[in-house]
Amino acid sequence: AVRCSALEWSGCYRNEEIASSKWLDAHYDPVANLYTFSSCIALSDLHGDGENKLVVGDLGTGVCNVKLKVYRGTGVLSESTLLDLPTGLVSFLMDLHEPRTPAIAVASGPFIYVYKNLRPYFKFTLPSLEVNPLEQDVWSQAKEDMIDPMTLKEMLEGLRDKAEIPLSVRSLRFLMLEPQEMENFVLLHKEQPIRRQTVITCIGMLKKNMADEDAVSCLVIGTENGDVYILDPEAFTILYKMSLPSSPTLMDVTGQFDVEFRITVACRNGNIYILRRDSPKPKYCIELSSHPVGLVRMGKNVVVGCTHETLHGYTQKGKKLWTAYLPAPVTAMALMDLPTRGFQAVLVGLANCEVHMYRDKNLISTIKTPDVVTSICFGRYGREDGTLIMTTKGGGLIVKILKRTAVFDDRDSAPGPPIAQSIRLNVPKKTKLYVDQTLRERENAVAMHRAFQMDLSRLRLAAARAYVKALESSLTPMSASLTEPLKMNAVVQGLGPSFKLTLNIQNTASCRPVMNLAISFLYDENLYSMRTAFFKIPLLVPGLNYPIDTFVECLSDKGISDIIKVFVLREGKSAPLLTAHINMPVSEGLALN
Amino acid sequence: MKTDVQLPAATDLKKPRPKKAPELPILERRNWLIHLHYIRKDYETCKAIIKEQLHETQGMCEYAVYVQALIMRLEGKIQQSLELFQSCAILNPKSSDNLKQVARSLFLLGKHKAAIEVYNEAARLNQKDWEISHNLGVCYIYTKDFRSAEEQLNLALQLNKHDLTYMMLGKIHLLQGDTEKAIDVYKSAVEYVSIHNLTFKHTCFILYTMLLGKYQKAFEHLGNALTYDPNNFKAILAAGSMMQTHGDYDVAMNKYRVAAYSVPESPPLWNNIGMCFFGKKKYVAAISCLKRANYLSPFDWKILYNLGLVHLTMQQYASAFHFLSAAINLRPRMSELYMLLAVALTNLDDADNARRSYEQAVQLDESNLLVNLNFAVFLYNQGDKKAALLQFQEMERKVNTQVDSNINTEFDPELVEMAQKLGAALQAGENLYWSKPGKDSKSSQRSSSSKPSSSQQPLGTNQALGQAMSSAAGYSKSMQITAGAEPLSPSTSCHLHRSVHPNLQSQIFRCLFEWCIILM
Repeated sequence: AVRCSALEWSGCYRNEEIASSKWLDAHYDPVANLYTFSSCIALSDLHGDGENKLVVGDLGTGVCNVKLKVYRGTGVLSESTLLDLPTGLVSFLMDLHEPRTPAIAVASGPFIYVYKNLRPYFKFTLPSLEVNPLEQDVWSQAKEDMIDPMTLKEMLEGLRDKAEIPLSVRSLRFLMLEPQEMENFVLLHKEQPIRRQTVITCIGMLKKNMADEDAVSCLVIGTENGDVYILDPEAFTILYKMSLPSSPTLMDVTGQFDVEFRITVACRNGNIYILRRDSPKPKYCIELSSHPVGLVRMGKNVVVGCTHETLHGYTQKGKKLWTAYLPAPVTAMALMDLPTRGFQAVLVGLANCEVHMYRDKNLISTIKTPDVVTSICFGRYGREDGTLIMTTKGGGLIVKILKRTAVFDDRDSAPGPPIAQSIRLNVPKKTKLYVDQTLRERENAVAMHRAFQMDLSRLRLAAARAYVKALESSLTPMSASLTEPLKMNAVVQGLGPSFKLTLNIQNTASCRPVMNLAISFLYDENLYSMRTAFFKIPLLVPGLNYPIDTFVECLSDKGISDIIKVFVLREGKSAPLLTAHINMPVSEGLALN
Repeated sequence: MKTDVQLPAATDLKKPRPKKAPELPILERRNWLIHLHYIRKDYETCKAIIKEQLHETQGMCEYAVYVQALIMRLEGKIQQSLELFQSCAILNPKSSDNLKQVARSLFLLGKHKAAIEVYNEAARLNQKDWEISHNLGVCYIYTKDFRSAEEQLNLALQLNKHDLTYMMLGKIHLLQGDTEKAIDVYKSAVEYVSIHNLTFKHTCFILYTMLLGKYQKAFEHLGNALTYDPNNFKAILAAGSMMQTHGDYDVAMNKYRVAAYSVPESPPLWNNIGMCFFGKKKYVAAISCLKRANYLSPFDWKILYNLGLVHLTMQQYASAFHFLSAAINLRPRMSELYMLLAVALTNLDDADNARRSYEQAVQLDESNLLVNLNFAVFLYNQGDKKAALLQFQEMERKVNTQVDSNINTEFDPELVEMAQKLGAALQAGENLYWSKPGKDSKSSQRSSSSKPSSSQQPLGTNQALGQAMSSAAGYSKSMQITAGAEPLSPSTSCHLHRSVHPNLQSQIFRCLFEWCIILM
């Protein structure tokens, strides 16, 4: 991998940024190959040596190469393969044993893998969901070979459309199968008990009974079917279960399990629910106008970044406090907490390659990044307290350290009056000629108006005359007669001296066919020759398009062209029904002698 | 909860053990990832994951189909997205969400009746959904069934007091011409909507006060709304047009500069900028801007109207004629347009057509005094005193009805002056509102105060124009005989001046309503 040192990279920003920057560029690796989200990043003192490592759940390519990576300084300390994509990752203390080394819990599919000292330690599986008893019945009948696969299919389909409890994966899979595969599928699976599983969608942690920094914590998990579980830190039994109306996507937990806690969950239906210790159902609900992308708790308030490029602040009871408008969509959010300085802010990664720092609704600082940020994590890394870690869309890893001299103004740095107000309006300029013409119009308005009206009348007269003439001599491409409503257009193909002439004739009547028609051509015989200058056309069925081909030979090599007139005639009438004038192209080829 | 070690699904599929049945992957296992990418607007990655997931589940993963349909709708492939939502509804017939999306797609395709049916079906699954009731109401508006629309929107309001519903309900009442009910709606919106939604609150308040005719208050709130969002195009346009109406052209131009920076190709904006220049008597610039507006929106009659007006002022009567006749073609039932056309024709020495145009204007008009007054002046100058008197009496009648019903008691001083002069010439008009001795004190003060103002040239008055008008054959002569030395020029400048206003006001309304709707 190519790695740039802090100095090399800072070159591109030196001119305008460095002087005023509040951050030191510690490390930038544009090809770190990390594909992850804020939920899959944690900083943790894995070895209990007072030096924090960066733990990243890397989604790899999204299919394979899924890894749990641990960074120390600027390098990878260890990598271990994960079996499935990680949905979330937390670092937590599970017991009181010395040395106090935190464990890493990685949520993935229906499991939580717990690592201690970077070694697999325990695997937790979500409890199975309730299976529809009718479905159970149907399968047990199938097991005893009482029903054949087709009947099974019908019964399951009936269940799927009516039942309150959804079908298990096995039944759903079975319903997808082709009839010839069913037999084998039933044979293979019928001995197994039916299970209905769900997957974990988010993970968080909750202090058990003490508020200390190094207190033992419970895991809190949200599942696809809308349940929230709190797990015992040592035995991994379910201590408490709550349910939500939709699948949770983001979670923030505060408080202590044994005293009082509050779980703020953003759900896939665009609502945020607030759960409390005393009730298994949500206590408060915040209806957002767009989907939440990031959820961060700041003190007692909740800050939510939404897809509509807005940032909202809510109280912990769901009352809206403020709204800030962002210049671009939110991609990642994180809390910036510096307890030593008593400073808290919300970091918001935006799609325009910026990270904005908000304190309440005030924008207090902006960081420019070389790529769109997909995850943000702020905390202690190594032995440095104020470290900002970001990964980018292109897979890069950015580490920045907050300067100890950096001071953030609490003032809103959003601009006052819009700059555009002082930009000159682009009013189109008028020329001297225009002014002269204006003066001329002023002097001669009456004459100009009369001349115009006169010419307009003449134009109308000329147009009307031409129209009447066209109608009288059937020059139009549409025939005006009621008995033979015809439409014709002609196409000339070829470079010359031979051309192919295609006449598309259509009978536009609703039901009556047209018979006894003929086509004749009129042309300069010194210039062109045609094999047949007159032929009959077949009966025309209404609505269909009849392409009629004929060939024209150009006799001249002088590069001149002429008009060929086409007449559609009716037997026994000399006046044509339709006339078309075809402007022949100049022949570009030479006739072979 | 401790379970034996099992290999997770993904690897299981690849190397199934001979005896044990393979663990089947859970259909919903990638939903969280799809959702994560979808809300981050990373649609390309999202589509790739969906494709993979649909391949794995053979199209049975409801959420993947759902998000795919949402993305397609964002990409404008509404018909395809509708089909996908319909298949979602088949996969999960119990979800009102799927039906809601089907209905939404139908709505976007303009199939409002079908959308109503699907929404009703969704409403059966979920009785208490604000969104369904609201959208049903909107659909009913499009099918012009205002009563059902009102019913549904009120139902939506009972479930949840959303800003959007108030806006729609107000709009229905305005569409039906029921201003009082609309005022009630906006009033309750101002009361109920939480303080946090300040921009919305301002919008409601502005509408509320505007409907009550309190433009000053509305303007203050518009200013407040602008401090929260100084770059809001619609608000700028609305505020600017109000400033313009009050003659604050420089301030309005300042605002328009901001708007022109963000939306440089807006026809209403360039129209208003053009009229600002017109107000500042920069006629060439006004024509430039209006022509740009006209280029951007060639079928907007308001712009053509203004172009006609500016060209009349510039004495380019032949050009004015073209713009005005174009405007009339687009909006054939507006009396002011015919009146302006008649003025142009008078100056083009086409008395017959001018008269016809005036007749059309009078026929269409309901309350505009200027139409009758100008017609009367025209007839008088043509020597048709009898017809002129008739028009003058018609004007008197309009004045009296307006005064009686208290719609308007303050008349434009120029108009009053002109009417008095013509009245004297026709030996009529003694019983007009402003010439009655009882109420005279105020209006005579006004008209006397208007005299110095006429010397300092009120807006739109153009001395050169006046001279040109008075030099028309038979025109100044007849006036000199009857009304003494005073030329009749103020009349023409007066109606030019007045006709700016109705146009600008209609512009304001338009901006505000659009603005409110965009805000939501």
